[in-house]
Amino acid sequence: MLLILFPFIFMVLLSLSSSWRFPEVFPGYFGFKNWVTLLGSEAGLLQSFIISIVISLSVGIVSTFSGFLISRAVFYHKKKRILTLFAYFPYVLAPVVFGACLSFFFLKMGLFGNVTGVIVAQFLIAFPYALIFFGSFWNKKIKSYEDLVATLGGTSQQTFFKVLFPLAKSMLLICFFQTFLISWFEYGLTSIIGVGKVQTLTIKVFLFIKEANYYYGALSCCLLIFPPVVLLYFNKRYVFKNLI
Amino acid sequence: MLIGVVPFIAAFIYALGYSFGLLGVLNNGFTTRFWQSVFESGEFLKSFGYSAAIAIISLALSIGGALWVTLKFRRELDKKFLSFMMYLPLAIPGVVAGFFMIQLFSKGGFFARVAFQMGLIEKTSQFPDLVNDSLAFGIIVTFITMLIPFFTLLFLNVYKNERIEELSILAHALGANANQVTRRVFLPIVLKKTWVLIALYFIFLLGAYEVPLILGQESPQMLSVLIIRETRQFDLSKISEGYVVAVIYTIVVSITAILLFLPKQKNVYET
Repeated sequence: MLLILFPFIFMVLLSLSSSWRFPEVFPGYFGFKNWVTLLGSEAGLLQSFIISIVISLSVGIVSTFSGFLISRAVFYHKKKRILTLFAYFPYVLAPVVFGACLSFFFLKMGLFGNVTGVIVAQFLIAFPYALIFFGSFWNKKIKSYEDLVATLGGTSQQTFFKVLFPLAKSMLLICFFQTFLISWFEYGLTSIIGVGKVQTLTIKVFLFIKEANYYYGALSCCLLIFPPVVLLYFNKRYVFKNLI
Repeated sequence: MLIGVVPFIAAFIYALGYSFGLLGVLNNGFTTRFWQSVFESGEFLKSFGYSAAIAIISLALSIGGALWVTLKFRRELDKKFLSFMMYLPLAIPGVVAGFFMIQLFSKGGFFARVAFQMGLIEKTSQFPDLVNDSLAFGIIVTFITMLIPFFTLLFLNVYKNERIEELSILAHALGANANQVTRRVFLPIVLKKTWVLIALYFIFLLGAYEVPLILGQESPQMLSVLIIRETRQFDLSKISEGYVVAVIYTIVVSITAILLFLPKQKNVYET
């Protein structure tokens, strides 16, 4: 238990510290100075936090809904095995390598070095995840429900809003959490497509490591860790159910 | 499907074109010299072997550790609070894990300070190289700390879903000892149920970027770090070689994905 909590406690303590020189085991200063700086936005951390939230929310929402809708089309397709296999290719490829090979196209489309480009790039890796995730939702039982609605005179819109979405509610929520986290934790792809101009929290942590500013680095780490902790609390019991 | 496949194919064709000299500012047309150069220098093979070795060692130790934790502490981990605690490490991304390891294991880090206070070292240089080291100690430890909680939770889930507790009781009743139950019941079921995910994690570790970028050394480098270093460098004549490595890496992971996921698609949606 102590081993699990140690990184969290250490990061919080380091974010509250400064003047912690070798070989001191305890820091010279301990207080909220670094956190106040954050609110003053001197280091641009608050901005990074907001950019990260906007990017991850966008990626999470768009990937979840498009993944849900397109996975249905895949399930009903004759060649669903091959189509599902295709989804695995961008999923297994290291995002940073994917980004390096795609950067030319982003440059040509004017999506290089801006938030939109980063959202599109992250969507390209979050979407296959959502597609694979919803593969387990579609089955004969769901198809029977759809057929029943059609037999009773329901439209396709009614099928989605009155039957499919309510049935898939918890899976939609979990998928949103997972794709949000994929985006929230992403560094490599963001650094390639954002070219340092889109400074999400992961980019900030790297910048602080390079500058050897470990106190701000720890503070960024705290901001990076706590939203996922909250999300994990809400969806922990479903995470592994869908992996096996 | 266009959203998923087209960018992947476009990226692959671009990398392939660049690697054969068909694309790129300084390239004049089809050539295989970049491929020859990559294989002659041996850097790619070294990097591939280095990445594979790190991935295998990290995975083997993580799986071993997680199996041990599952066997020893499964009842304790069933409690609500502890079960949530086990999920907490999943909230730590690679960037943060790498940063944390630097704080712990670097020459000016937490353990170096403790060693100094205990009189084990007198100056920082006496503390062993545990990050950015030749044996990839920092990278492997980081991967292990990230993977053990994940695999423990996965194995605990399989333990419950596959009713291994009941099967173990049955095996005991039929005269099996604890060792036999572990080897003949627990391990085969757990590993058979999770081998695809284990293989998938091998691929993920092979292409890991953030952790080796923070904790790795200059040479050899892990695959993703090498590819990005080569394709982003100022020497434009060398970029094609980076794309050669990217093409080979893409082919390897794609073939692995086909081998892993194509055969088991049969009746996957039939429930």
